[in-house]
Amino acid sequence: MFCRMIMLLMIIGLVSLLLPNTLDACPACKNLDEPIARGFNWSVLFMMAMPFTVFGVIGGSVYYHFRRANGA
Amino acid sequence: MTHTEVDIIQSRPISNAKLGVLVLLGAETMLFVGLIGAFLVFRMGNVNWQPPLSLGDIQLPQLVTGINTFLLLFSGLTMFYSVRSIQQDKILQHHLSLVLTWYLGLTFLVIQGSEWIQLIRQGLTLQSGIYGGIFYVLIGCHAVHVLGAVMWLSIVLAKSLLGKFSSQKYTGVETCMLYWSFVVALWLILYILVYLY
Repeated sequence: MFCRMIMLLMIIGLVSLLLPNTLDACPACKNLDEPIARGFNWSVLFMMAMPFTVFGVIGGSVYYHFRRANGA
Repeated sequence: MTHTEVDIIQSRPISNAKLGVLVLLGAETMLFVGLIGAFLVFRMGNVNWQPPLSLGDIQLPQLVTGINTFLLLFSGLTMFYSVRSIQQDKILQHHLSLVLTWYLGLTFLVIQGSEWIQLIRQGLTLQSGIYGGIFYVLIGCHAVHVLGAVMWLSIVLAKSLLGKFSSQKYTGVETCMLYWSFVVALWLILYILVYLY
Protein backbone atom coordinates (compact mmCIF):
# COMPACT_ATOMS: atom_id res chain seq x y z
CA MET A 1 0.00 0.00 0.00
CA PHE A 2 2.78 2.41 1.01
CA CYS A 3 4.79 1.51 -2.10
CA ARG A 4 1.77 2.18 -4.30
CA MET A 5 1.34 5.61 -2.74
CA ILE A 6 4.99 6.44 -3.35
CA MET A 7 4.65 5.22 -6.92
CA LEU A 8 1.54 7.35 -7.51
CA LEU A 9 3.23 10.44 -6.10
CA MET A 10 6.26 9.86 -8.31
CA ILE A 11 4.06 9.53 -11.40
CA ILE A 12 2.24 12.76 -10.50
CA GLY A 13 5.58 14.50 -9.92
CA LEU A 14 6.92 13.24 -13.25
CA VAL A 15 3.81 14.37 -15.13
CA SER A 16 4.07 17.83 -13.53
CA LEU A 17 7.70 18.06 -14.57
CA LEU A 18 6.91 17.04 -18.13
CA LEU A 19 3.97 19.41 -18.45
CA PRO A 20 5.17 22.63 -16.81
CA ASN A 21 2.32 24.85 -18.11
CA THR A 22 1.38 27.59 -15.71
CA LEU A 23 -2.22 28.36 -14.98
CA ASP A 24 -3.78 31.47 -13.47
CA ALA A 25 -5.28 30.61 -10.13
CA CYS A 26 -7.76 33.45 -10.58
CA PRO A 27 -8.99 34.07 -14.13
CA ALA A 28 -10.19 37.55 -13.19
CA CYS A 29 -6.87 38.66 -11.65
CA LYS A 30 -4.99 41.00 -13.95
CA ASN A 31 -1.89 43.12 -13.92
CA LEU A 32 -2.80 46.24 -11.94
CA ASP A 33 -1.49 48.54 -14.67
CA GLU A 34 -3.97 47.27 -17.24
CA PRO A 35 -7.21 49.26 -17.77
CA ILE A 36 -9.29 46.10 -17.41
CA ALA A 37 -7.79 45.57 -13.93
CA ARG A 38 -8.86 49.09 -12.92
CA GLY A 39 -12.32 48.31 -14.24
CA PHE A 40 -12.51 45.10 -12.24
CA ASN A 41 -11.22 46.82 -9.10
CA TRP A 42 -13.70 49.69 -9.23
CA SER A 43 -16.53 47.37 -10.14
CA VAL A 44 -15.76 45.05 -7.21
CA LEU A 45 -15.42 47.97 -4.79
CA PHE A 46 -18.67 49.49 -6.02
CA MET A 47 -20.61 46.23 -5.74
CA MET A 48 -19.04 45.39 -2.38
CA ALA A 49 -20.07 48.73 -0.87
CA MET A 50 -23.69 48.54 -2.03
CA PRO A 51 -25.17 45.92 0.36
CA PHE A 52 -23.88 48.00 3.30
CA THR A 53 -25.35 51.16 1.76
CA VAL A 54 -28.72 49.51 1.11
CA PHE A 55 -28.98 47.99 4.59
CA GLY A 56 -27.72 51.24 6.08
CA VAL A 57 -30.38 53.32 4.31
CA ILE A 58 -33.24 50.94 5.18
CA GLY A 59 -32.04 50.53 8.78
CA GLY A 60 -31.40 54.26 9.13
CA SER A 61 -34.84 55.08 7.80
CA VAL A 62 -36.56 52.67 10.21
CA TYR A 63 -34.47 54.03 13.09
CA TYR A 64 -35.33 57.63 12.14
CA HIS A 65 -39.08 56.86 12.08
CA PHE A 66 -38.92 55.11 15.46
CA ARG A 67 -36.95 57.98 17.00
CA ARG A 68 -39.39 60.53 15.62
CA ALA A 69 -42.37 58.52 16.88
CA ASN A 70 -40.87 58.21 20.38
CA GLY A 71 -39.89 61.87 20.46
CA ALA A 72 -43.37 63.05 19.53
CA MET B 1 -61.17 45.58 11.54
CA THR B 2 -61.81 46.78 15.09
CA HIS B 3 -61.02 50.25 16.41
CA THR B 4 -58.12 48.87 18.47
CA GLU B 5 -56.56 47.27 15.39
CA VAL B 6 -56.88 50.51 13.44
CA ASP B 7 -55.28 52.42 16.32
CA ILE B 8 -52.36 49.97 16.46
CA ILE B 9 -51.77 50.22 12.69
CA GLN B 10 -51.98 54.04 12.75
CA SER B 11 -49.63 54.30 15.74
CA ARG B 12 -46.83 52.37 13.96
CA PRO B 13 -43.78 54.56 13.41
CA ILE B 14 -43.37 53.26 9.85
CA SER B 15 -46.18 51.76 7.81
CA ASN B 16 -45.93 48.26 6.35
CA ALA B 17 -46.41 49.69 2.86
CA LYS B 18 -43.52 52.11 3.27
CA LEU B 19 -41.27 49.40 4.70
CA GLY B 20 -42.25 47.11 1.84
CA VAL B 21 -41.37 49.75 -0.75
CA LEU B 22 -38.02 50.37 0.97
CA VAL B 23 -37.19 46.66 0.74
CA LEU B 24 -38.33 46.62 -2.90
CA LEU B 25 -36.04 49.59 -3.61
CA GLY B 26 -33.18 47.72 -1.90
CA ALA B 27 -33.71 44.79 -4.27
CA GLU B 28 -33.96 47.14 -7.27
CA THR B 29 -30.75 48.84 -6.21
CA MET B 30 -28.92 45.51 -6.16
CA LEU B 31 -30.21 44.73 -9.66
CA PHE B 32 -28.82 48.00 -11.01
CA VAL B 33 -25.60 47.63 -9.01
CA GLY B 34 -24.91 44.41 -10.92
CA LEU B 35 -25.57 46.10 -14.26
CA ILE B 36 -23.50 49.19 -13.39
CA GLY B 37 -20.71 46.91 -12.11
CA ALA B 38 -20.63 45.16 -15.50
CA PHE B 39 -20.66 48.53 -17.26
CA LEU B 40 -17.70 49.75 -15.17
CA VAL B 41 -15.63 46.71 -16.13
CA PHE B 42 -16.29 47.25 -19.85
CA ARG B 43 -16.02 51.03 -19.75
CA MET B 44 -12.83 51.25 -17.73
CA GLY B 45 -11.34 48.25 -19.50
CA ASN B 46 -11.56 50.04 -22.85
CA VAL B 47 -9.54 53.22 -23.29
CA ASN B 48 -11.45 54.03 -26.51
CA TRP B 49 -15.05 53.48 -25.48
CA GLN B 50 -17.16 54.20 -28.54
CA PRO B 51 -19.69 52.51 -30.82
CA PRO B 52 -18.27 49.97 -33.30
CA LEU B 53 -16.23 51.77 -35.98
CA SER B 54 -18.11 49.90 -38.72
CA LEU B 55 -21.20 51.97 -37.88
CA GLY B 56 -19.49 55.26 -38.73
CA ASP B 57 -19.62 58.35 -36.58
CA ILE B 58 -22.43 57.66 -34.10
CA GLN B 59 -22.62 59.82 -30.99
CA LEU B 60 -25.02 59.45 -28.09
CA PRO B 61 -27.38 62.47 -27.96
CA GLN B 62 -25.89 64.16 -24.88
CA LEU B 63 -27.71 67.50 -25.16
CA VAL B 64 -31.23 66.16 -25.69
CA THR B 65 -30.71 63.58 -22.95
CA GLY B 66 -29.35 66.34 -20.72
CA ILE B 67 -32.56 68.32 -21.19
CA ASN B 68 -34.50 65.12 -20.57
CA THR B 69 -32.52 64.60 -17.37
CA PHE B 70 -33.48 68.09 -16.25
CA LEU B 71 -37.16 67.27 -16.91
CA LEU B 72 -36.94 64.11 -14.83
CA LEU B 73 -35.15 65.93 -12.00
CA PHE B 74 -37.86 68.58 -12.05
CA SER B 75 -40.50 65.83 -11.88
CA GLY B 76 -38.80 64.64 -8.67
CA LEU B 77 -39.38 68.11 -7.21
CA THR B 78 -43.03 68.23 -8.27
CA MET B 79 -43.58 64.76 -6.80
CA PHE B 80 -42.06 65.90 -3.51
CA TYR B 81 -44.28 68.97 -3.60
CA SER B 82 -47.38 66.82 -4.14
CA VAL B 83 -46.65 64.97 -0.87
CA ARG B 84 -46.02 68.24 0.94
CA SER B 85 -49.28 69.71 -0.31
CA ILE B 86 -51.39 66.68 0.69
CA GLN B 87 -49.79 66.82 4.15
CA GLN B 88 -51.07 70.39 4.41
CA ASP B 89 -54.46 69.51 2.87
CA LYS B 90 -53.82 71.72 -0.17
CA ILE B 91 -55.78 69.48 -2.50
CA LEU B 92 -55.62 71.63 -5.65
CA GLN B 93 -51.83 72.01 -5.47
CA HIS B 94 -51.59 68.30 -4.77
CA HIS B 95 -53.59 67.41 -7.89
CA LEU B 96 -51.72 69.88 -10.07
CA SER B 97 -48.30 68.68 -8.97
CA LEU B 98 -49.29 65.04 -9.49
CA VAL B 99 -50.55 65.79 -13.01
CA LEU B 100 -47.35 67.72 -13.77
CA THR B 101 -45.20 64.85 -12.48
CA TRP B 102 -47.15 62.37 -14.58
CA TYR B 103 -46.78 64.57 -17.67
CA LEU B 104 -43.03 65.04 -17.12
CA GLY B 105 -42.53 61.30 -16.67
CA LEU B 106 -44.40 60.55 -19.85
CA THR B 107 -42.44 63.24 -21.75
CA PHE B 108 -39.20 61.65 -20.54
CA LEU B 109 -40.29 58.29 -21.91
CA VAL B 110 -41.37 59.74 -25.27
CA ILE B 111 -38.04 61.57 -25.71
CA GLN B 112 -36.09 58.46 -24.71
CA GLY B 113 -38.12 56.40 -27.19
CA SER B 114 -37.48 58.83 -30.05
CA GLU B 115 -33.76 58.82 -29.24
CA TRP B 116 -33.69 55.05 -29.36
CA ILE B 117 -35.47 55.00 -32.74
CA GLN B 118 -32.85 57.39 -34.13
CA LEU B 119 -29.97 55.33 -32.75
CA ILE B 120 -31.42 52.09 -34.12
CA ARG B 121 -31.89 53.76 -37.53
CA GLN B 122 -28.22 54.75 -37.43
CA GLY B 123 -27.32 51.11 -36.83
CA LEU B 124 -26.67 50.97 -33.09
CA THR B 125 -28.60 47.93 -31.89
CA LEU B 126 -28.46 45.44 -29.03
CA GLN B 127 -26.13 43.33 -31.17
CA SER B 128 -23.63 46.16 -31.84
CA GLY B 129 -20.93 44.65 -29.68
CA ILE B 130 -20.49 45.22 -25.96
CA TYR B 131 -21.18 48.95 -26.42
CA GLY B 132 -24.66 48.48 -27.88
CA GLY B 133 -25.47 45.59 -25.57
CA ILE B 134 -24.65 47.29 -22.29
CA PHE B 135 -26.17 50.61 -23.44
CA TYR B 136 -29.56 49.15 -24.30
CA VAL B 137 -29.67 46.82 -21.31
CA LEU B 138 -28.83 49.58 -18.79
CA ILE B 139 -30.94 52.36 -20.28
CA GLY B 140 -33.74 49.98 -21.27
CA CYS B 141 -33.93 48.53 -17.77
CA HIS B 142 -34.27 52.05 -16.38
CA ALA B 143 -36.90 52.96 -18.99
CA VAL B 144 -38.97 49.94 -17.92
CA HIS B 145 -38.76 51.24 -14.35
CA VAL B 146 -39.88 54.72 -15.41
CA LEU B 147 -42.79 53.12 -17.26
CA GLY B 148 -43.69 51.22 -14.09
CA ALA B 149 -43.43 54.42 -12.07
CA VAL B 150 -45.70 56.28 -14.51
CA MET B 151 -48.27 53.46 -14.29
CA TRP B 152 -48.09 53.55 -10.50
CA LEU B 153 -48.47 57.31 -10.59
CA SER B 154 -51.53 56.98 -12.87
CA ILE B 155 -53.23 54.85 -10.22
CA VAL B 156 -52.25 57.29 -7.45
CA LEU B 157 -53.51 60.20 -9.56
CA ALA B 158 -56.83 58.47 -10.24
CA LYS B 159 -57.30 57.68 -6.54
CA SER B 160 -56.32 61.22 -5.63
CA LEU B 161 -58.89 62.70 -8.03
CA LEU B 162 -61.50 60.43 -6.45
CA GLY B 163 -60.64 61.97 -3.09
CA LYS B 164 -59.07 58.90 -1.51
CA PHE B 165 -56.18 60.82 0.05
CA SER B 166 -56.11 63.42 2.82
CA SER B 167 -53.63 64.93 5.29
CA GLN B 168 -54.43 61.98 7.60
CA LYS B 169 -54.14 59.29 4.95
CA TYR B 170 -51.52 59.66 2.23
CA THR B 171 -49.32 56.55 2.39
CA GLY B 172 -50.15 55.74 -1.25
CA VAL B 173 -48.72 59.07 -2.41
CA GLU B 174 -45.71 58.77 -0.12
CA THR B 175 -44.72 55.29 -1.32
CA CYS B 176 -45.12 56.41 -4.92
CA MET B 177 -42.83 59.36 -4.17
CA LEU B 178 -40.20 56.97 -2.76
CA TYR B 179 -40.23 54.91 -5.94
CA TRP B 180 -40.23 58.00 -8.13
CA SER B 181 -37.26 59.48 -6.25
CA PHE B 182 -35.38 56.22 -6.75
CA VAL B 183 -36.00 56.29 -10.50
CA VAL B 184 -34.93 59.96 -10.72
CA ALA B 185 -31.75 59.52 -8.64
CA LEU B 186 -30.82 56.40 -10.60
CA TRP B 187 -31.20 58.20 -13.90
CA LEU B 188 -28.80 60.93 -12.82
CA ILE B 189 -26.13 58.29 -12.10
CA LEU B 190 -26.82 56.48 -15.37
CA TYR B 191 -26.73 59.68 -17.41
CA ILE B 192 -23.36 60.69 -15.99
CA LEU B 193 -21.91 57.19 -16.41
CA VAL B 194 -23.29 56.23 -19.80
CA TYR B 195 -23.58 59.56 -21.62
CA LEU B 196 -20.93 61.82 -20.09
CA TYR B 197 -18.16 59.53 -18.74
